[in-house]
Amino acid sequence: MIENKQQGQKVERRDETFAEAIETKIWCETASESNPYIAQKNLVHGYDHLELMAKKSYSEMTFLMLKGELPGKDELALFDATLVALSNLGPRHAATRAVMNASVSKTDITHLLPLALSILSGAHLGAKEVFDSVRFIRKNMNKDPEAVLATLLDAGDQKVHMPGFGARFGDVEIIPEQMAAQLASFVAAGKGLDWCQRLIGIAKEYNVGWFITGVASAAFVDLGFTPKAAAGLFQMAVSPGLLAHGIEMSNKPITAMPFVAEDKYHYMESGHGCD
Amino acid sequence: MDVINKTQYWDERRGHIYSAKGGWVIGKGIASHGYSLLDDLVGGKSFFQVMVLNATGKMLPENFTRWLEATFICLSWPDSRIWCNQMGSYGGETKTSPVAAICAGVLASDSSLYGPGTVISATRFIVAALDYVRQGGVVDEYIETMAKTRLGLVTPGFARPMAKGDERVERMRQVAQELGFVDGPHMRTARAIEKYLLTQYDESMNLAGYIMAFLSDQGFSEQENYRIYSMCVNSGVHAAYSEAYDNVPDSYLPLRCEDIVYTGIPERVLL
Repeated sequence: MIENKQQGQKVERRDETFAEAIETKIWCETASESNPYIAQKNLVHGYDHLELMAKKSYSEMTFLMLKGELPGKDELALFDATLVALSNLGPRHAATRAVMNASVSKTDITHLLPLALSILSGAHLGAKEVFDSVRFIRKNMNKDPEAVLATLLDAGDQKVHMPGFGARFGDVEIIPEQMAAQLASFVAAGKGLDWCQRLIGIAKEYNVGWFITGVASAAFVDLGFTPKAAAGLFQMAVSPGLLAHGIEMSNKPITAMPFVAEDKYHYMESGHGCD
Repeated sequence: MDVINKTQYWDERRGHIYSAKGGWVIGKGIASHGYSLLDDLVGGKSFFQVMVLNATGKMLPENFTRWLEATFICLSWPDSRIWCNQMGSYGGETKTSPVAAICAGVLASDSSLYGPGTVISATRFIVAALDYVRQGGVVDEYIETMAKTRLGLVTPGFARPMAKGDERVERMRQVAQELGFVDGPHMRTARAIEKYLLTQYDESMNLAGYIMAFLSDQGFSEQENYRIYSMCVNSGVHAAYSEAYDNVPDSYLPLRCEDIVYTGIPERVLL
């Protein structure tokens, strides 16, 4: 093995113990008698996988995977409605535009979803915002929304900054508010959606409304998902729309998407940097 | 406010791109920050100079570029056990394209424990430490007050996973000296922190701490640092991917069913 010629600082392995084997509470495989690498039975949180396949829906399975238990009837109704609400963000969202542009420029088809989900990972209208928003809601939903708002109001610009909520293009958005109201009417809707509705009722005075990320976050809070699970669930939930918009462009010529003409591309040359 | 004024900012950008970075005028040329790509950069400047130019607008002098390249060499090496490199191995195992595997490795390195994911916290830590010192404080107090959390001592840029000590820092100090660099105030503060940590906690500066102190002395911001180092682990991922791709499928650390220890709920009936 190689040995450094440099005589510098002494470097020692930390006295840490790494696991000998991978542990999981989610998945149990029983090996076949003839080959220890081939499974003959799989359990998911204790349930036989093939039986789940026969009796449960994809959303129930997702809920089970992330929470360890199958959803009750009311929880499933709210979960399904949330997944439907998020299933497409439309071609004006940056992640959808990314996948459409990649697809039309003939990016390998297997990269479409991963690249779109990377763009959907951000702190503005993306999974990072859901992560932050779930934490924000969980931290504050037992407090008076007016008091929370007062602590967040920037004295300088009189603006309120809250993950999952705000204004776009100068106004609050309409459809996310409608979605939140619809989700709040479900039996399983709880403190998260209710508190956010009361918060936004007051925050509208400061031009703050629901973002789609806030809607997702409030519903995921009521369904008991952690911030980490919620961020990934948001990406999963949006995936059908991302994939569909990508596939739609995949057989079209590269000219099927706009390419800004040179007279509309304005390079504002400001000279060299520090040479 | 009428509708036209309310949306004017966005209307002006609807169908238009305004860029201070550069652009391509078909048939005429490509500009980057006031340079002609083909006339001023190709053949005369290194890839790293142009990459940093595009990321920050700054054209680094040659000695700075050599220092930067040396840090990139320090930051990624061919050992498939390293967490981001494992992504390359799994990509090779499943025969992804190299692009998918390298991207997965780079994404994995956006971590709070290692890789470019530590850049922001390491930069903030050393910048805040120097501010503290400039306001009359001493580093010992800074460590004992600002770096103490309920989770213990949090000193981004100091200590590292797996090992105590970081031989790369010493080597980079030699490289910097050979290239004519002298320590600035951030690096002097980092050294003072290291001295205290070595004495009190047997921990030293790690490479990220060294790099961020160096770059802060050179006037780079935390965001500039993050952007420059966003791809810094790729070469080790390349190696891991290539080796696994060329090997027999399922041969990278194969697992028997029994190798996974199930600690969940025993088998139950689905109602």
